[in-house]
Amino acid sequence: MRPITHPLARVCVHLALSLVVLVSTLPFIWTLLNSFKTKRDANARVPKLFFTPTVESYTTVLLDSIPDNAALIGILLFASLVALVVIGKFAKYIPFPNKAIYWGIVATLAVIMWGIPRVIDVARIYDNFLSTVIVSVGAVTISVGIGALAAYALARYTGIAGIVILLAAIAFRSMPRMGYILPYFQVGQAIGIHDTHFLLIIVLVAVNQPFTIWMLRAFFLSVPREIEEAAMVDGASRLKAFVKVVVPVVWPGIVATSLFTLLVVYHEFILIRILTQSNQTLTVAMAQFIGGVSVPGSIPRQSAAAVISVIPLIIVVLIFQKQFVKGIGDGAVKG
Amino acid sequence: MKRTTFFRFTAPSNIVMLVLLVFPLIYSTWLGLHFITFRTINEPVFVGLANFQAVLNDPAFWASLRWTLVIIGITVPAHIVLGFLIALLLNEIKGGLRAIYLAASLIPMIVVPLIGTIVFKQLFDPSGLIAWMYKSVTGDIFVFDATSIKVLILLHTIWIITPWSIVLFFAGMQTISQDQADASSIDGANRRQQIRHVIVPHLRPLIILSTLIAVMDMFRLFDNVFVLTRMNPVFAADTVMAYNFRAAMVMGRLGLGNATAIILVITIIVALVPLMYVTYREQIDQR
Repeated sequence: MRPITHPLARVCVHLALSLVVLVSTLPFIWTLLNSFKTKRDANARVPKLFFTPTVESYTTVLLDSIPDNAALIGILLFASLVALVVIGKFAKYIPFPNKAIYWGIVATLAVIMWGIPRVIDVARIYDNFLSTVIVSVGAVTISVGIGALAAYALARYTGIAGIVILLAAIAFRSMPRMGYILPYFQVGQAIGIHDTHFLLIIVLVAVNQPFTIWMLRAFFLSVPREIEEAAMVDGASRLKAFVKVVVPVVWPGIVATSLFTLLVVYHEFILIRILTQSNQTLTVAMAQFIGGVSVPGSIPRQSAAAVISVIPLIIVVLIFQKQFVKGIGDGAVKG
Repeated sequence: MKRTTFFRFTAPSNIVMLVLLVFPLIYSTWLGLHFITFRTINEPVFVGLANFQAVLNDPAFWASLRWTLVIIGITVPAHIVLGFLIALLLNEIKGGLRAIYLAASLIPMIVVPLIGTIVFKQLFDPSGLIAWMYKSVTGDIFVFDATSIKVLILLHTIWIITPWSIVLFFAGMQTISQDQADASSIDGANRRQQIRHVIVPHLRPLIILSTLIAVMDMFRLFDNVFVLTRMNPVFAADTVMAYNFRAAMVMGRLGLGNATAIILVITIIVALVPLMYVTYREQIDQR
């Protein structure tokens, strides 16, 4: 379609879209402002847009006690994280095996995460962060790993069994979480895995499996059969052809699906809240900051906790932004 | 692909779904026939269909179902229309600005729903920005009561699900062939006719798909109700999932909660039939 050319109409289009942007972001901007306010400023009768910012709420949420060289540690930490992201982004220009670079980054991150509580007296929210990392990485890896095998087979097999599995997957995607919780709870206690990361991971893998299969299948459908058939003529087994030939081709789709699975895992509230007390993720831990109905908890602290809890997710989405948007388009439209 | 290869490839995934989705659901139904509390979790007492009767005779259950249907009736059409209009606007923009608009409008869907609700609610807290605007315009103080909470739940739900349809429809519009659009404009179609006769028919499958999925997802609406009402019965704003959570986790009547869950499962399966049918046809055609 030919774009609108009338200048006045174009201004209207931009105005309307700016309104959309405002509505989408205003709550977050407001919370971000609140997180830097003192309690007094946050509860002012007339909302304050200009105030003296303070990081007090962040330090109370993040730390049990403030170390003497807090600023130095903070800057070092921030600088090393930025350096890692930059190295990761520009890895292709570095004359060194890319895989080694990525694994190096992952290892460094793990060391940093291991080291932080040994240097700084972090608050409980750090445990929630670690739980989130463990549960998300575990659930996404397993979910996409076994999901890719199934999705590939579902994209290639034309028998009726494939359709039955796909339809069953739709049905189970839409089941209410409350329908599963009691069996997970009871059986988990009976076999002694209640309140462990393991239980959370397998449960999240299961509830996300239907979605993962459907999304991945859309990507596998777009790969021409000839690619793996050529490899199989050369004597490779089906599995070998899949791993060596098909997976590299759909890799962007696998990244996009992983991102979406991560989103669902990170968003999960009810299952994790009920199935664990000591391994709560950031999302579930946020519940303690909600406060009462019309008497909210400390607004600055609540805001700081909210900002801290979504930052890891936002960083991941920003890093994989391109695959994210493309993934929605390809996965949704073709599938 | 051979049948045996197919089953070998799908085995891990199928086993996970069988053990962790199918069996728990069957076991849940069985537990729904028992009286269980957290203290007697390992000694369920068989009570037959009593739990199911109790749920179906509970006016609060029917109230929660009606409220859920109201939410579906308002938010699902609203998010389709809004998503379509915003996608149309985005389609008019080319270049870098478009990516910025798109990214910003996706934020409500990326941020954790629970946290998004807390953030949304802050605007309406006594010291919040919108509460203050409301007070300056109307002179009254904004209070959380049964009506305003319900309006907030509706607004927040629309706010959080619209990004899905924006991005879906926008992606769909990118696949309209230029020839088709050009042909219609050479024929003298104006913009409104083009939207009606070219864009809407092209997006029809996506519109149907996202409507059906949204309807089913709304039956599971819980996080924002939980945050906005804090499960306070005064607001009478329980969705079916919130009713379910209250029965099981607040009142501790796990058997009753399971019976509710199974009734919901059956309701959702009925709502699923059209989507299943559409998908079945599509898959058969693709073969």
